[in-house]
Amino acid sequence: MSSDLEQEFVEQLEANQNIVHKICRLYTDNQDAHNDLFQEVTIQLWKAYPKFRGDSKFSTWMYRVALNTAITLYRKSKRRVQTQRYETVEFKIEDTTEDDETMEQLTLLYGAVKQLNDIEKALVFLYLEDKNYREIAETLGISEVNARVKMNRIKTKLTNIINP
Amino acid sequence: MDQLDILKSKWQSQKSDFPQYSKVQLTALLAKNSSSIVKWIFYIGIAEFVLLTLINIFYMDGENVQPFITAIGEPLYYGSYVFSYAVVLFFIYRFWSNYKNISAAQPARQLMKNILKTRRTMKWYIWYNIVFVMLFGLIYSYMALFNAPEFSKIIESAEFQQHTFKSVAIFMAFMALAFAVFCGFLYGVYSLIYGILLRRLKRNYEELRRMEV
Repeated sequence: MSSDLEQEFVEQLEANQNIVHKICRLYTDNQDAHNDLFQEVTIQLWKAYPKFRGDSKFSTWMYRVALNTAITLYRKSKRRVQTQRYETVEFKIEDTTEDDETMEQLTLLYGAVKQLNDIEKALVFLYLEDKNYREIAETLGISEVNARVKMNRIKTKLTNIINP
Repeated sequence: MDQLDILKSKWQSQKSDFPQYSKVQLTALLAKNSSSIVKWIFYIGIAEFVLLTLINIFYMDGENVQPFITAIGEPLYYGSYVFSYAVVLFFIYRFWSNYKNISAAQPARQLMKNILKTRRTMKWYIWYNIVFVMLFGLIYSYMALFNAPEFSKIIESAEFQQHTFKSVAIFMAFMALAFAVFCGFLYGVYSLIYGILLRRLKRNYEELRRMEV
Protein backbone atom coordinates (compact mmCIF):
# COMPACT_ATOMS: atom_id res chain seq x y z
CA MET A 1 0.00 0.00 0.00
CA SER A 2 1.22 3.45 -0.79
CA SER A 3 2.84 5.46 1.94
CA ASP A 4 0.57 8.39 1.06
CA LEU A 5 -2.39 6.37 2.16
CA GLU A 6 -0.54 5.35 5.29
CA GLN A 7 0.31 8.93 6.14
CA GLU A 8 -3.25 10.08 5.58
CA PHE A 9 -4.55 7.25 7.77
CA VAL A 10 -2.09 7.85 10.60
CA GLU A 11 -2.96 11.55 10.64
CA GLN A 12 -6.66 10.83 11.02
CA LEU A 13 -6.02 8.17 13.62
CA GLU A 14 -3.81 10.46 15.65
CA ALA A 15 -6.47 13.15 15.69
CA ASN A 16 -9.21 10.68 16.68
CA GLN A 17 -7.29 8.32 18.94
CA ASN A 18 -9.24 9.29 22.04
CA ILE A 19 -12.26 7.42 20.67
CA VAL A 20 -10.18 4.25 20.65
CA HIS A 21 -8.77 4.96 24.11
CA LYS A 22 -12.23 5.43 25.54
CA ILE A 23 -13.35 2.09 24.09
CA CYS A 24 -10.22 0.38 25.38
CA ARG A 25 -10.80 1.73 28.86
CA LEU A 26 -14.39 0.55 28.83
CA TYR A 27 -13.55 -2.98 27.68
CA THR A 28 -10.36 -3.70 29.57
CA ASP A 29 -9.33 -3.34 33.17
CA ASN A 30 -5.60 -2.81 33.14
CA GLN A 31 -3.07 -0.84 31.16
CA ASP A 32 -1.49 -3.83 29.37
CA ALA A 33 -4.83 -5.06 28.11
CA HIS A 34 -5.67 -1.51 27.11
CA ASN A 35 -2.53 -1.28 24.97
CA ASP A 36 -3.16 -4.72 23.53
CA LEU A 37 -6.67 -3.81 22.44
CA PHE A 38 -5.51 -0.45 21.12
CA GLN A 39 -2.98 -2.22 18.95
CA GLU A 40 -5.57 -4.64 17.58
CA VAL A 41 -8.03 -1.82 16.85
CA THR A 42 -5.31 0.07 14.99
CA ILE A 43 -4.50 -2.99 12.88
CA GLN A 44 -8.16 -3.61 12.09
CA LEU A 45 -8.71 0.06 11.18
CA TRP A 46 -5.73 -0.02 8.88
CA LYS A 47 -6.86 -3.27 7.26
CA ALA A 48 -10.32 -1.83 6.61
CA TYR A 49 -9.08 1.60 5.57
CA PRO A 50 -8.62 0.96 1.82
CA LYS A 51 -12.36 0.27 1.63
CA PHE A 52 -13.26 3.40 3.54
CA ARG A 53 -14.77 5.59 0.85
CA GLY A 54 -15.40 8.68 2.86
CA ASP A 55 -19.17 8.35 2.49
CA SER A 56 -19.33 8.67 6.24
CA LYS A 57 -17.14 10.65 8.61
CA PHE A 58 -13.85 9.03 9.53
CA SER A 59 -14.87 9.06 13.19
CA THR A 60 -18.24 7.39 12.48
CA TRP A 61 -16.53 4.63 10.53
CA MET A 62 -14.01 4.38 13.31
CA TYR A 63 -16.64 3.76 15.99
CA ARG A 64 -17.86 0.78 14.06
CA VAL A 65 -14.48 -0.84 13.41
CA ALA A 66 -13.23 -0.16 16.94
CA LEU A 67 -16.35 -1.51 18.64
CA ASN A 68 -16.37 -4.56 16.37
CA THR A 69 -12.80 -5.23 17.35
CA ALA A 70 -13.56 -4.88 21.05
CA ILE A 71 -16.73 -6.99 20.96
CA THR A 72 -16.01 -9.57 18.30
CA LEU A 73 -12.55 -9.76 16.81
CA TYR A 74 -10.24 -9.21 19.74
CA ARG A 75 -8.90 -12.24 21.55
CA LYS A 76 -7.65 -11.57 25.02
CA SER A 77 -4.09 -12.79 25.05
CA LYS A 78 -3.11 -15.27 27.72
CA ARG A 79 0.51 -14.25 27.90
CA ARG A 80 -0.38 -10.99 29.62
CA VAL A 81 1.00 -10.53 33.07
CA GLN A 82 -1.50 -9.00 35.42
CA THR A 83 -0.15 -5.52 35.97
CA GLN A 84 -1.66 -2.83 38.08
CA ARG A 85 -5.31 -2.16 37.50
CA TYR A 86 -6.54 1.25 36.53
CA GLU A 87 -6.85 3.55 39.49
CA THR A 88 -10.16 3.23 41.28
CA VAL A 89 -11.23 6.65 40.11
CA GLU A 90 -11.66 5.89 36.46
CA PHE A 91 -13.69 8.80 35.44
CA LYS A 92 -12.04 12.20 35.45
CA ILE A 93 -13.26 15.48 34.15
CA GLU A 94 -11.42 18.69 33.54
CA ASP A 95 -13.97 20.81 35.26
CA THR A 96 -13.05 20.58 38.94
CA THR A 97 -15.83 22.81 40.19
CA GLU A 98 -18.08 19.79 40.56
CA ASP A 99 -18.79 18.93 44.13
CA ASP A 100 -17.50 15.71 45.59
CA GLU A 101 -20.89 14.11 45.76
CA THR A 102 -21.55 14.49 42.04
CA MET A 103 -18.10 13.17 41.23
CA GLU A 104 -18.66 10.21 43.47
CA GLN A 105 -21.96 9.53 41.75
CA LEU A 106 -20.33 9.69 38.34
CA THR A 107 -17.54 7.35 39.37
CA LEU A 108 -20.09 4.94 40.76
CA LEU A 109 -22.06 5.11 37.55
CA TYR A 110 -19.01 4.52 35.40
CA GLY A 111 -18.20 1.52 37.55
CA ALA A 112 -21.71 0.22 36.94
CA VAL A 113 -21.34 0.68 33.17
CA LYS A 114 -18.19 -1.45 33.31
CA GLN A 115 -20.22 -4.25 34.84
CA LEU A 116 -22.54 -4.43 31.83
CA ASN A 117 -22.08 -7.05 29.13
CA ASP A 118 -20.21 -6.34 25.88
CA ILE A 119 -23.25 -5.34 23.84
CA GLU A 120 -24.78 -3.19 26.56
CA LYS A 121 -21.47 -1.39 26.97
CA ALA A 122 -21.42 -0.63 23.26
CA LEU A 123 -24.91 0.87 23.41
CA VAL A 124 -24.08 2.99 26.44
CA PHE A 125 -20.82 4.11 24.89
CA LEU A 126 -22.45 5.29 21.68
CA TYR A 127 -25.16 6.97 23.74
CA LEU A 128 -22.57 8.81 25.81
CA GLU A 129 -20.79 9.83 22.62
CA ASP A 130 -24.03 11.55 21.67
CA LYS A 131 -24.88 9.25 18.78
CA ASN A 132 -28.55 9.15 17.85
CA TYR A 133 -30.53 5.91 17.86
CA ARG A 134 -30.30 5.56 14.11
CA GLU A 135 -26.50 5.55 14.28
CA ILE A 136 -26.48 3.21 17.28
CA ALA A 137 -28.82 0.83 15.46
CA GLU A 138 -26.68 0.90 12.31
CA THR A 139 -23.46 0.30 14.19
CA LEU A 140 -24.85 -2.76 15.95
CA GLY A 141 -27.00 -4.01 13.10
CA ILE A 142 -30.29 -3.92 14.98
CA SER A 143 -33.44 -1.89 14.46
CA GLU A 144 -33.81 1.62 15.80
CA VAL A 145 -36.84 0.70 17.90
CA ASN A 146 -35.01 -2.17 19.53
CA ALA A 147 -31.99 0.00 20.23
CA ARG A 148 -34.25 2.44 22.03
CA VAL A 149 -36.02 -0.29 24.01
CA LYS A 150 -32.72 -1.85 25.00
CA MET A 151 -31.31 1.49 26.06
CA ASN A 152 -34.23 2.07 28.40
CA ARG A 153 -33.70 -1.35 29.93
CA ILE A 154 -30.01 -0.63 30.42
CA LYS A 155 -30.86 2.62 32.21
CA THR A 156 -33.06 0.68 34.62
CA LYS A 157 -30.34 -1.92 35.05
CA LEU A 158 -27.77 0.76 35.85
CA THR A 159 -30.05 2.35 38.41
CA ASN A 160 -30.47 -1.04 40.05
CA ILE A 161 -26.72 -1.62 40.17
CA ILE A 162 -26.11 1.76 41.79
CA ASN A 163 -29.05 1.60 44.22
CA PRO A 164 -29.39 -2.05 45.09
CA MET B 1 -32.72 13.90 33.83
CA ASP B 2 -31.56 10.46 34.81
CA GLN B 3 -28.10 9.64 36.02
CA LEU B 4 -26.86 8.41 32.67
CA ASP B 5 -27.67 11.78 31.16
CA ILE B 6 -25.66 13.48 33.90
CA LEU B 7 -22.76 11.24 32.96
CA LYS B 8 -23.36 12.07 29.32
CA SER B 9 -23.22 15.78 29.99
CA LYS B 10 -19.83 15.33 31.65
CA TRP B 11 -18.62 12.70 29.19
CA GLN B 12 -17.44 15.13 26.56
CA SER B 13 -15.38 17.10 29.06
CA GLN B 14 -13.68 13.90 30.15
CA LYS B 15 -10.06 14.50 30.97
CA SER B 16 -7.92 12.86 28.35
CA ASP B 17 -5.30 11.36 30.57
CA PHE B 18 -4.80 8.59 28.04
CA PRO B 19 -1.23 8.23 26.88
CA GLN B 20 -1.31 9.81 23.45
CA TYR B 21 0.41 7.97 20.63
CA SER B 22 2.53 9.96 18.23
CA LYS B 23 2.36 9.44 14.45
CA VAL B 24 5.61 7.50 14.54
CA GLN B 25 4.28 5.18 17.25
CA LEU B 26 1.03 4.67 15.37
CA THR B 27 2.86 3.86 12.16
CA ALA B 28 4.88 1.26 14.05
CA LEU B 29 1.64 -0.30 15.31
CA LEU B 30 0.45 -0.84 11.73
CA ALA B 31 3.24 -3.31 11.13
CA LYS B 32 2.26 -5.49 14.09
CA ASN B 33 0.53 -8.81 13.68
CA SER B 34 -3.15 -9.09 14.28
CA SER B 35 -4.36 -11.69 16.75
CA SER B 36 -8.03 -11.42 15.82
CA ILE B 37 -10.27 -14.47 15.87
CA VAL B 38 -10.87 -14.10 12.13
CA LYS B 39 -7.21 -14.71 11.56
CA TRP B 40 -7.33 -17.76 13.81
CA ILE B 41 -10.37 -19.09 12.02
CA PHE B 42 -8.57 -18.64 8.73
CA TYR B 43 -5.49 -20.54 9.93
CA ILE B 44 -7.51 -23.31 11.51
CA GLY B 45 -9.57 -23.57 8.31
CA ILE B 46 -6.41 -23.92 6.23
CA ALA B 47 -5.04 -26.50 8.68
CA GLU B 48 -8.27 -28.49 8.39
CA PHE B 49 -8.11 -28.50 4.61
CA VAL B 50 -4.47 -29.51 4.57
CA LEU B 51 -4.87 -32.22 7.20
CA LEU B 52 -8.02 -33.77 5.82
CA THR B 53 -6.80 -33.59 2.24
CA LEU B 54 -3.56 -35.26 3.32
CA ILE B 55 -5.56 -38.02 4.98
CA ASN B 56 -7.54 -38.37 1.77
CA ILE B 57 -4.41 -38.54 -0.35
CA PHE B 58 -2.90 -41.08 1.97
CA TYR B 59 -6.11 -43.03 1.95
CA MET B 60 -6.72 -42.86 -1.79
CA ASP B 61 -3.25 -42.55 -3.34
CA GLY B 62 -1.04 -44.39 -0.92
CA GLU B 63 1.06 -47.49 -1.57
CA ASN B 64 -1.70 -49.77 -0.39
CA VAL B 65 -4.02 -48.51 -3.04
CA GLN B 66 -3.91 -51.64 -5.21
CA PRO B 67 -5.62 -54.02 -2.77
CA PHE B 68 -8.06 -51.22 -2.13
CA ILE B 69 -8.96 -50.98 -5.82
CA THR B 70 -9.19 -54.76 -6.02
CA ALA B 71 -11.52 -54.76 -3.05
CA ILE B 72 -13.98 -52.11 -4.11
CA GLY B 73 -13.54 -52.18 -7.90
CA GLU B 74 -12.29 -49.53 -10.29
CA PRO B 75 -15.51 -47.59 -11.00
CA LEU B 76 -16.25 -47.02 -7.34
CA TYR B 77 -12.65 -46.16 -6.58
CA TYR B 78 -12.21 -43.59 -9.37
CA GLY B 79 -15.73 -42.28 -8.91
CA SER B 80 -15.14 -41.53 -5.26
CA TYR B 81 -11.73 -40.11 -6.10
CA VAL B 82 -13.11 -37.51 -8.49
CA PHE B 83 -16.04 -36.86 -6.20
CA SER B 84 -13.92 -36.19 -3.14
CA TYR B 85 -11.65 -33.72 -4.94
CA ALA B 86 -14.62 -31.90 -6.43
CA VAL B 87 -16.09 -31.59 -2.95
CA VAL B 88 -12.83 -30.28 -1.49
CA LEU B 89 -12.66 -27.62 -4.22
CA PHE B 90 -16.25 -26.66 -3.53
CA PHE B 91 -15.53 -26.27 0.17
CA ILE B 92 -12.40 -24.24 -0.45
CA TYR B 93 -14.40 -21.92 -2.67
CA ARG B 94 -17.14 -21.54 -0.05
CA PHE B 95 -14.62 -20.98 2.73
CA TRP B 96 -12.81 -18.35 0.73
CA SER B 97 -15.92 -16.46 -0.35
CA ASN B 98 -17.26 -16.45 3.23
CA TYR B 99 -13.93 -15.30 4.53
CA LYS B 100 -13.80 -12.48 1.98
CA ASN B 101 -17.18 -11.24 3.20
CA ILE B 102 -15.88 -10.57 6.68
CA SER B 103 -15.18 -6.90 7.24
CA ALA B 104 -14.57 -5.06 10.48
CA ALA B 105 -16.56 -2.13 9.08
CA GLN B 106 -19.82 -4.11 8.97
CA PRO B 107 -22.59 -3.67 11.50
CA ALA B 108 -21.70 -5.82 14.53
CA ARG B 109 -24.47 -8.33 14.01
CA GLN B 110 -23.63 -8.84 10.34
CA LEU B 111 -19.96 -9.29 11.16
CA MET B 112 -20.73 -11.93 13.76
CA LYS B 113 -23.08 -13.67 11.36
CA ASN B 114 -20.41 -13.80 8.66
CA ILE B 115 -17.83 -15.21 11.04
CA LEU B 116 -20.24 -17.89 12.19
CA LYS B 117 -21.02 -18.67 8.56
CA THR B 118 -17.35 -19.24 7.82
CA ARG B 119 -17.12 -21.56 10.79
CA ARG B 120 -20.25 -23.37 9.66
CA THR B 121 -18.65 -24.09 6.30
CA MET B 122 -15.81 -25.79 8.13
CA LYS B 123 -18.27 -27.65 10.31
CA TRP B 124 -19.93 -29.04 7.21
CA TYR B 125 -16.55 -29.93 5.80
CA ILE B 126 -15.74 -31.90 8.94
CA TRP B 127 -19.13 -33.59 8.83
CA TYR B 128 -18.68 -34.42 5.18
CA ASN B 129 -15.34 -36.03 5.97
CA ILE B 130 -16.78 -37.98 8.86
CA VAL B 131 -19.65 -39.31 6.75
CA PHE B 132 -17.30 -40.04 3.87
CA VAL B 133 -14.87 -41.93 6.09
CA MET B 134 -17.69 -43.85 7.75
CA LEU B 135 -19.45 -44.71 4.52
CA PHE B 136 -16.37 -45.68 2.59
CA GLY B 137 -14.85 -47.40 5.55
CA LEU B 138 -17.91 -49.59 5.83
CA ILE B 139 -18.23 -50.27 2.10
CA TYR B 140 -14.56 -51.09 1.99
CA SER B 141 -14.76 -53.33 5.06
CA TYR B 142 -17.68 -55.21 3.57
CA MET B 143 -16.09 -55.67 0.18
CA ALA B 144 -12.69 -56.45 1.60
CA LEU B 145 -14.21 -59.20 3.66
CA PHE B 146 -15.12 -61.07 0.50
CA ASN B 147 -12.42 -59.89 -1.90
CA ALA B 148 -9.24 -59.41 0.11
CA PRO B 149 -7.00 -62.44 0.53
CA GLU B 150 -6.41 -61.63 4.21
CA PHE B 151 -9.96 -62.54 5.03
CA SER B 152 -10.23 -65.73 2.99
CA LYS B 153 -9.33 -67.86 6.01
CA ILE B 154 -12.12 -66.40 8.03
CA ILE B 155 -14.65 -66.70 5.27
CA GLU B 156 -13.71 -70.31 4.64
CA SER B 157 -13.94 -71.26 8.29
CA ALA B 158 -16.79 -73.57 9.11
CA GLU B 159 -18.22 -71.26 11.71
CA PHE B 160 -18.48 -68.37 9.27
CA GLN B 161 -20.10 -70.55 6.65
CA GLN B 162 -22.73 -71.70 9.11
CA HIS B 163 -23.77 -68.30 10.32
CA THR B 164 -22.87 -66.07 7.40
CA PHE B 165 -25.40 -63.32 8.08
CA LYS B 166 -24.70 -63.18 11.79
CA SER B 167 -20.93 -63.12 11.28
CA VAL B 168 -21.06 -60.38 8.69
CA ALA B 169 -23.38 -58.36 10.90
CA ILE B 170 -21.04 -58.70 13.89
CA PHE B 171 -18.04 -57.76 11.76
CA MET B 172 -19.80 -54.71 10.30
CA ALA B 173 -21.07 -53.60 13.70
CA PHE B 174 -17.57 -53.82 15.07
CA MET B 175 -16.17 -51.79 12.16
CA ALA B 176 -18.94 -49.21 12.48
CA LEU B 177 -18.16 -48.83 16.16
CA ALA B 178 -14.46 -48.40 15.48
CA PHE B 179 -15.16 -45.72 12.85
CA ALA B 180 -17.67 -44.00 15.10
CA VAL B 181 -15.15 -43.77 17.93
CA PHE B 182 -12.55 -42.36 15.57
CA CYS B 183 -14.98 -39.82 14.08
CA GLY B 184 -16.33 -38.91 17.50
CA PHE B 185 -12.83 -38.12 18.63
CA LEU B 186 -12.19 -36.03 15.50
CA TYR B 187 -15.39 -34.10 16.05
CA GLY B 188 -14.67 -33.61 19.74
CA VAL B 189 -11.29 -32.03 19.05
CA TYR B 190 -12.83 -29.84 16.38
CA SER B 191 -15.65 -28.63 18.62
CA LEU B 192 -13.25 -27.87 21.43
CA ILE B 193 -11.05 -25.65 19.28
CA TYR B 194 -13.92 -23.60 17.86
CA GLY B 195 -15.77 -23.64 21.17
CA ILE B 196 -12.92 -21.91 22.93
CA LEU B 197 -12.39 -19.49 20.07
CA LEU B 198 -15.99 -18.45 19.57
CA ARG B 199 -17.50 -18.60 23.05
CA ARG B 200 -17.57 -14.84 23.50
CA LEU B 201 -18.72 -14.14 19.96
CA LYS B 202 -21.63 -16.53 20.31
CA ARG B 203 -22.69 -14.98 23.59
CA ASN B 204 -22.68 -11.50 22.05
CA TYR B 205 -24.42 -12.69 18.91
CA GLU B 206 -27.16 -14.26 21.04
CA GLU B 207 -27.52 -11.01 22.96
CA LEU B 208 -28.04 -9.05 19.73
CA ARG B 209 -30.36 -11.71 18.36
CA ARG B 210 -32.50 -11.63 21.50
CA MET B 211 -32.91 -7.87 21.15
CA GLU B 212 -34.42 -8.35 17.72
CA VAL B 213 -37.04 -10.87 18.79
